[in-house]
This record gives sequence, C-alpha cells and structure tokens, in this order.
Amino acid sequence: MLKNLALAFSFAKRDFKERYVGMSFGELWYLISPLIMIFIYTVIFSNFMKMKLNITDSEYAYSIYLVPGLLAWTSFSTLLNRVALIFMEKAELLKKINVPAYSFMFSILITEFVLFLISMTLGIGFLVLIDYHIDFTFLYLLPVMILQSFFAFALGVVFALFVPFFRDLKEVIPIFLQLWFWVTPIVYLKDMIYDKYPYIVDLNPAYIFIRIYQDIFLYAKTPDFTKLFTALLFTGAVLLTAAYLYKKMVPLIKDII
Amino acid sequence: MLEVKNLTKIFKIYKNNTDRLKELFFKKSYHKEFVANKDISFDLFQKETLGIIGLNGAGKSTLLKLIVQVLEPTFGKIISHGRVTALLELGTGFNQELSGYENIFLNGTLIGMSSKEIKNKIDSIIDFSELGDYIKEPILTYSSGMKMRLAFSIALFSEPKILIVDEALSVGDAHFQQKCTKALRKRKDKDMSIIYVSHDLNSLKLLCDRVMLLHKGEVVDIGEPERVINRYNFLISKINEKEQKPVLKRSENSYGNFDAEIKKVELRGDESKSNIISSGENTKIFVKIYSYKDVDNVTVGIAIRDKFAQEIFGTNTYYHHKKVDLKRDESYVCIFETKMNIGVGKYTITAALHTNENHIDNCFHWIDNALEFEIAGTVGEAFIGLCRLEPKISFEKVSKDDK
Repeated sequence: MLKNLALAFSFAKRDFKERYVGMSFGELWYLISPLIMIFIYTVIFSNFMKMKLNITDSEYAYSIYLVPGLLAWTSFSTLLNRVALIFMEKAELLKKINVPAYSFMFSILITEFVLFLISMTLGIGFLVLIDYHIDFTFLYLLPVMILQSFFAFALGVVFALFVPFFRDLKEVIPIFLQLWFWVTPIVYLKDMIYDKYPYIVDLNPAYIFIRIYQDIFLYAKTPDFTKLFTALLFTGAVLLTAAYLYKKMVPLIKDII
Repeated sequence: MLEVKNLTKIFKIYKNNTDRLKELFFKKSYHKEFVANKDISFDLFQKETLGIIGLNGAGKSTLLKLIVQVLEPTFGKIISHGRVTALLELGTGFNQELSGYENIFLNGTLIGMSSKEIKNKIDSIIDFSELGDYIKEPILTYSSGMKMRLAFSIALFSEPKILIVDEALSVGDAHFQQKCTKALRKRKDKDMSIIYVSHDLNSLKLLCDRVMLLHKGEVVDIGEPERVINRYNFLISKINEKEQKPVLKRSENSYGNFDAEIKKVELRGDESKSNIISSGENTKIFVKIYSYKDVDNVTVGIAIRDKFAQEIFGTNTYYHHKKVDLKRDESYVCIFETKMNIGVGKYTITAALHTNENHIDNCFHWIDNALEFEIAGTVGEAFIGLCRLEPKISFEKVSKDDK
C-alpha cells in the first residue's frame, strides 16, 4: 500500500511532464483557460449586465467574487472527470502491468491539488494587485481546499468504477458537471435564486466549499465550523463508500477492460 | 521461485454489463461460465526456463495475466518470491512524446523500480539498448526495433527474479536477438527464472528446461521438452486430420492426365507421430495412390522444398530401381523412409506420378506443396545450415618431427 502511494507521487511528477511536453507554453495553459473565463464572465456579467455587488465598494467587486469560485470549480470538475475516466485512459496499462488503479487515481489527486494551489495563489496575487484586504483568515483556504479535493476525488472514484459497465457515463459526466456548475452560485449571486429554489443551494455539497472561498476573498470571513464539519462528514462518507465499492468491483473490472 | 496451486480462472459471461452489476449487488445469478484455466498447478524453480505451449485459446495468455496479477484468479493461488516482470507486448507504457531517457524512468517506475534504482542503472540500460544519442529524441521517432531494444533493456536491468517472455524477442535484428539471448542466459545462470511462451518449437527446445502443454485450460503434460512438444504435435495433427483437404486432384497446384491419382500425402516422424519432427528423426512419407487404368513402369517421386521454394532433395522409385505397376481400380501406398537430416525450418513436399525418369513424357499427376512439415530441434549433435553432414572429428597433437 505504502509503496503504491509512493508510486502515485512519482506518477504525479511524470504526469506534469507528460501533459505539457511538446507544448511551447507548457504549464501556462492550465492557467490561461480559467483566466480567459474570468475575463469573459467579468466583461459579460459586470459590464454588460451591470451586475454589481452592493456589499463592497470596490470597482472589482464582481471579479473578487468570481475568481475563487471559478478556480475552485475548475479544479473540482477537472479532478472528478479525470479520476472518473481512469479505467478508460489507462486500460492498456492496467491490462498488462500489475499496478493498482488507485496509484493512478491518487496521482491525479496530487497533480490536480498542486495545480489548484498554484491557481489559488495567483487568485490571491490578483487581490494583492488591486490592493485588496488580505489577512490570516486566508490560511483557512488550505484545509478547505484539501477537503474539497478529497471530495472530488472520492466522487470521481465512484464514477470511475461504474464507467467500465456503462460506457455512456463517459459522455454523461461532463454534462452532469456542466449542469452542476450552473446550479451553483459561482457566476451569479446566491440571493438571485435562494428565494425561489432554496433547496438547490442548501443541498449542494460543492457550494459549501465555494461559499467559504467567496466569503474569505470578499470579507475575510472565518468559515462557519458547523459547515466545515458537515463537509468533513460527507467527504468521509463518500470516501468510505468509494473504498468499499473499489474493493468489491475492481476484480470484476479487470476482467472487462 | 513461483508456486502455482490449483489455479482456476472462470470468466463469467453476461448478456450485458447491467446483469454483471446486478449480480455483484444482489444474490441472483445471471451468468454463464467460461473456464479459461482449470486447476493448474506447477512450480517454477530458480534458474529454470519453463516453456508454455498450447493451441490458440488454450489459456496461455490468461495464465500469464494471472501470474503477473493483472487478473485475479477465481480459485487457487500464486505465490511468487521476488519481482515478476513481463515482456508482454513490449513498450506498453511508453509515452510517445517523451524522450527515450524520460521513458526509462516512466517505464521503470511502472514495472516496479524505484527512481534511485533507475538512476543507478540508467547508463547500463542506455548502453545495452545501443540507442546512443537517439535516447534524447522522443519515442515517436523510434523504429519498432528501437522501441523493443529499449523496452528489453529496461526489463533486463530491472533484474526480475522471474521474467515472462511472450514471443517478444522475434522483433529486432539478429544481432540484438543474439545479444538478448546471451544476456538472458547470463542472468538466468545468476538467479533468474524465465517463463517462455512461443509457437516457435525450435527455440522452445533450445531454451527451455521444461515445457508445459496447455489444452482447453488444463495442464496436459509438463516435463522434458522433447516429449511434451511431441505431444503438442500430436494434438495439432489430430486437429489437422479433421480438416484435411479431401481432394488433392482439383487443387490449383496440381496437374496431369489423371490416369492414376495421388490421393493423399502424409508425413510422420517415428517419435513425434506427427508432421513436426526433429532433425535426424526417422521419418516416413506416405504417398497414397489410386489408379484408374492398368499402367506398368510407373515412377513415384517426391521433392522437399524449403521456405524459399528451393528444392533441397528429391528422389523417386526410378532412381531406386523399384518397379511399380498399377492395376485398374486399386489403391497403393508408396512409403519413403529416411532419417530427416535437414536443418530446422519449414518445408513442403511436392509429389509426382509419371513414367520414366521425369514427368515430361507422361505425367499422371503432379502436386506442388502437397504437404507442409516442420523440423524443430535436433536429435544428436546440434548443427547449423540446411544440410546435415555427419563428420567424424578428431583432434590430436602433431609431433614436432612431422613439421
């Protein structure tokens, strides 16, 4: 087990190299796409649609609101999707070499988390650039990011185990993620839907994480500990489910990939 | 080194994948069973080469996958003492865009080497692969032979205790093949065991200490290569008999006036009881004839051709002053018995029925490639080449006076 986790680290290292070989801008691409998205949303929502936040007086208020949510979502969805497709992507290897699938899964967790850290750091860099208020509450970002990554990872594993049985899932997962993105208050404000559909917001596990980032970025607000605890609980629950299903289903999956 | 005990692998066959899942979570059974490996037990000893043969679908691949633990056995267990590395389909796990150098790390990690171990051995690996400066180029610029050389070098220097070779060595030029064989021998003499799967019977006889014959998922025989391979040949010839071409007469490589006809040509080694024989083995070639007319002074002839269609030997009853007369509506068999003193490889037999010395005047029936046979392995001293001369070799000291 330990050896295989160590393997995950070395895969992660390779993964970085593999993903960006033959590209002249290398790792920059990972950051370019969310930056462009942030730019687009800022222009559309804040300039054309005149969406303003009443709570702060900064002229960048909307961008400050948008940046953490969008970065967190990018990491969340990429991590989930990549883990979910692992048996398809590595089928050739898993058929021939005795390397447990979870080594590959963990390696994705590691790479995506590192990229998440880098992009969040750049997000904070943006705040520094516009001379916005930053204090020690920003340290809460780290544990929440870790928790979020584990949550996305665990969900990804559950999906991954079913993908070999229902190959259509490969197409369904991105659509599902797209829908999830739009029911989560990331580009729009929570208040805009809360009155009409409170359950969408309350029952959305991803929003628990995203809400915390947004509050920290905008108001430097200490996270609500009951919320954090809930997040910890359901992350744990999904992780355990994933582990149970993994043990039960992997021998079967080996027969059919 | 490796103990395999009562290994059974059953694949469950379902109508669809939903049924497969349903069975996992509910008690009801939805499947049909397919037994790929049935109750297989054997030990692989240290420094031993074990060959595995069997017809297609005999369960060889499944067994190998179970040994490298890519598949999980349904029953039974495998205990291995030390690293098992498979040379199955070389180069899986190479990243096309990374350089050869990077790929050594990638592939090495996959087969279980630590990065420290790889760093220590990387120079030897590059050296052995003979890739030189190409090692810095991305893999996609490599030829298949170069990829194979790199993959083999990595596998070799990972110093497995058990190496699984699956027909992989057939890629690569003769020079590198020899180098591989030599390197494998050296590692084997130290402490490595090899499992070798091949359809090349000659190399099996040369390399293996023991051979195991699989048939329909079961071990039919395991032991001395010569014996087991003969048994395999027997299995093949039984299958060939079932689908024997019924009429030779109208096939495209036969002609003649068909006053008499060659019904069938057969070849059988005394030991192997099939058409795959060892060089030097006593062999009988049967030419079965049916005559439609009364004809006297007939000649029955055969010629053996190698894979380049070069005639390497031919003879007939005329040369041997054997008188052959055929009566109307009678069957005959003409038997050529000889020690097959020719080199390893595949051959065909051409048979002919005519009068006098050759088939130019009056040819009843002539068939090209009436039969294929193979020479694999050698009885007695090994030799190279096509033709087995039988030299007596003496060696003595020459006294100074004679100089």
